[in-house]
Amino acid sequence: MKKGINAKDLINIGLFTAIYFVVFFATGMLGYIPIMMLAMPVLCPLVAGIPFMLFLTRVHTFGMVSIMGVILSLLMVLTGHPWQLIPVGIVMAVLGDLVLLAGEYRGWRSIRLGYVVFSEWLAGLFIPFFFMRDHYFAGIRAGYGDAYADTLMALTPPWVLVLMIALIVVGALGGAYLGKAALKKHFKRAGIT
Amino acid sequence: MGFVAFTTQKHSRFRLDPRTKILLTLVISIVMMAGTISGPSAWPRAALALTPLGLLLAERKYRQGFYYMLFFLLSFAMETLFISRTQGALNLILMIIASLFSRFVPGLIMGYYLISTTRISELIAALEKIRLPQQIVIPFAVMMRFFPTVIEENAAIRDAMRMRGIRLGGAKAGALLEYRLVPMMMCTVKIGDELSTAALTRGLGNPAKRTSLCEIRLMATDYLLMAFASCAFMLWMLL
Repeated sequence: MKKGINAKDLINIGLFTAIYFVVFFATGMLGYIPIMMLAMPVLCPLVAGIPFMLFLTRVHTFGMVSIMGVILSLLMVLTGHPWQLIPVGIVMAVLGDLVLLAGEYRGWRSIRLGYVVFSEWLAGLFIPFFFMRDHYFAGIRAGYGDAYADTLMALTPPWVLVLMIALIVVGALGGAYLGKAALKKHFKRAGIT
Repeated sequence: MGFVAFTTQKHSRFRLDPRTKILLTLVISIVMMAGTISGPSAWPRAALALTPLGLLLAERKYRQGFYYMLFFLLSFAMETLFISRTQGALNLILMIIASLFSRFVPGLIMGYYLISTTRISELIAALEKIRLPQQIVIPFAVMMRFFPTVIEENAAIRDAMRMRGIRLGGAKAGALLEYRLVPMMMCTVKIGDELSTAALTRGLGNPAKRTSLCEIRLMATDYLLMAFASCAFMLWMLL
């Protein structure tokens, strides 16, 4: 096993992050159809599992998955998405990287869990709705009165965030298996893993 | 994927340093996301929400500016006029739409401005100047370089499938994934290997500090806008 991240690794990170992002974004476009909004946290990590599993075959040292998380959230924020993605994205990527490291990037159990943890970066997108709740509702209470604020609070309970996180877990688990199957069926045979 | 298309335009008419644009994007994202719609802190919010409009107009993107202004007036009207005068479900729907829009859209428009007026090399030079480590700048640059490639390969695969009369859609979502995604990834990985060999022969592995052909400098307008963003941010923090 080689040690340290060299220039070729840096290029691989950029390359796979590009594929991951395109796949993720194309799937996420479905989120603009209102009913699909709830499906997005499942579908995005599900489909993006394929490029991620291929990326893992190129990963051999700690830091590569973390860097992927950093540039992914950097790109999201530069394109005007909520800034909370940066802290959430970096923390989740580093945690996922640690889980993957525990299996030395080869053990299937740690790959499965690591991908689930990594995929939680997406939760950063939903955090502003819930994290800023008190601040937000204080403003509404001042502007529109108690009755209104209470109704709205009842309609957006904090457990929806938990639901989102759970949906991402489901999608990522599926994505891990989908990616593994795609690797086995296509990429191993073509000799590029 | 229109939104990853960074400009190739040599000189935009109204040049801002990418660092200024990054700062503005961050400030707008932070303030818009958390601000309230009433009380004194509504003022810095309104000023920041109008900033992307001014920038779009300065860039002579009149069409985009017009739509954004329309949107801004609409959500402003929703927040100030309609919400307090309607009741029940209609009120709630208006409220949710207005708050979602006013929180997310100014940031997205600012992001659109950033990428549609910045060349990739300018952005990379700026990221280097704010002292991000090479381990982040290099993959970021490679990623930017690869977006057009991925999209191009995807189009080529679509054409190839159409030529052979393979049509997918509706119920065959799984097959769609397999037939489109797998070849696309194979192509991209091969291209990536070639690119990394080419980049290494050009000294990417060299630890010395790299120079950039692209000159970025902070001008008077940059300082002005940065001061404005900082003031608005401070004001919003204090109020």
